[in-house]
Amino acid sequence: MFGYLRIDKDELKVKDYRFYKSVYCGLCRSMGKNYGTAARLMLSYDCTVLAVLLMSVTSEKCAVVRKRCPVNPLKKCEFCDCMSDAIKFAGAVSVILGYNRLQDTIIDSKMLKKIPPMILKILLKRNYRKAAAAYPEIAHMTEQLIKMQTEAESKKAGIDASAEPTAKFMSKLCSMFCPQNYNSHAAETFGYYIGRWIYLIDAADDLEEDIKKGTFNPFKEKYNGDTAETMKYCNEVLNMTAAHITMSYDLLDTGLYKSILDNIVYDGIAKQQQYCLFDKYNEKNKKIRSR
Amino acid sequence: MNDPYRILNISKNADVEEIKKAYRILVKKYHPDRYQNSSLAKEATEKMKEINQAYDMVMREKQGQGSDASYDNGAYDKHEGSAPRDTYNKTEPSVYVNVRQDIKNQNFDKAESVLNKIPPTERSGEWYYLMSIISYNKGQLEESNNYIETAHSIDPSNTEYYQMYRSIKEQRTGTSYHSGGATGCGGKIFRNICDCFY
Repeated sequence: MFGYLRIDKDELKVKDYRFYKSVYCGLCRSMGKNYGTAARLMLSYDCTVLAVLLMSVTSEKCAVVRKRCPVNPLKKCEFCDCMSDAIKFAGAVSVILGYNRLQDTIIDSKMLKKIPPMILKILLKRNYRKAAAAYPEIAHMTEQLIKMQTEAESKKAGIDASAEPTAKFMSKLCSMFCPQNYNSHAAETFGYYIGRWIYLIDAADDLEEDIKKGTFNPFKEKYNGDTAETMKYCNEVLNMTAAHITMSYDLLDTGLYKSILDNIVYDGIAKQQQYCLFDKYNEKNKKIRSR
Repeated sequence: MNDPYRILNISKNADVEEIKKAYRILVKKYHPDRYQNSSLAKEATEKMKEINQAYDMVMREKQGQGSDASYDNGAYDKHEGSAPRDTYNKTEPSVYVNVRQDIKNQNFDKAESVLNKIPPTERSGEWYYLMSIISYNKGQLEESNNYIETAHSIDPSNTEYYQMYRSIKEQRTGTSYHSGGATGCGGKIFRNICDCFY
């Protein structure tokens, strides 16, 4: 999970934004409390969305308290109750995924740059074990995810096959929490396409860098030297995935926090695509021109 | 049954026009065309039934109050979830009939393995069309897109292939993307995501 799943702040009601933020802060607090200060660095927007989704699905109401922010003690923030099941779950997922991602970062970076992730990894090791012991299923799923991902990349898999491990992981994650008699088929499908979308937008976002470094990227084959053209193609792929996200999302009974999830699914996804595929390059060009 | 007003997403004192408007939005959202060839079609049909029941109930209530609603005068026809179309050619080899049955029963792996046994030289437009549906439901959207492109280019006059082709192309340009959305065109945000937005 890489922080691509976000709200579109401009379109969100203030009360929804406040709640979303309190979940973000609550998640950070919960991770700090359960897995130590270093774990807070693993906080991501994706896991905040996961927490909101889980709360919505299980219709778990969450108390909000006002406390000082430990990261910035001058600021008083609203925190969602960090003992909530959804938040604990999302926190564990963040720690487990984050820890495993560190290994990737160590392999990918060169020489001295290896040191910070290595230190972080050592700091996190004990708490990773704690999270993995509390949620063994997720630890197992993550192992599978990494194994399948490495395999797909070494085979130089196509777009569908390389997105599949993340998609399947998210699919399981979304259906795990569903209460009985919930529409689990739609939830699984929703998770699948969310995972696929996250993987593919990350790939599209990293395309230029991967070409420079010579690392694997599923969109490389389509790249013909013209970034703008390739991004148009990536946009088509992502649009189709997003169409399937909304199709399955519309069949979910989202209940309590519908307005926040609607915002993420209908507006946030489109906005991220627009930013990562087009606006980012326009900004770059502007900077070059102004120099 | 659940609260019909909640299902239609309207307040208790909504007037007839508001009800119709809310109903129309929902019909568009859960329209069988949107879920065609998808394994979610069944769920969408259920949802549509629920919405139709809620609509009937609310409208009946409004009429009972003596309002001037005359919703069943044919001005607005209700949408029923249409049954999946079984319009395949009778002369086609029986293997495709079986594959279609498997797809209908959501046995995608079985259908795929049967199709894979057909040698490449004997693969017709229908082979590519059925493969496209299978990949579509297994989440392999790029492969689905490639298959339907081939099927459509082999037989451009086939309406069945064309429907699937068009719906996939709509998804890719982003025109169908927002069909469930509450807001309209987001102006700047959607500039590149779609060429035309309703």
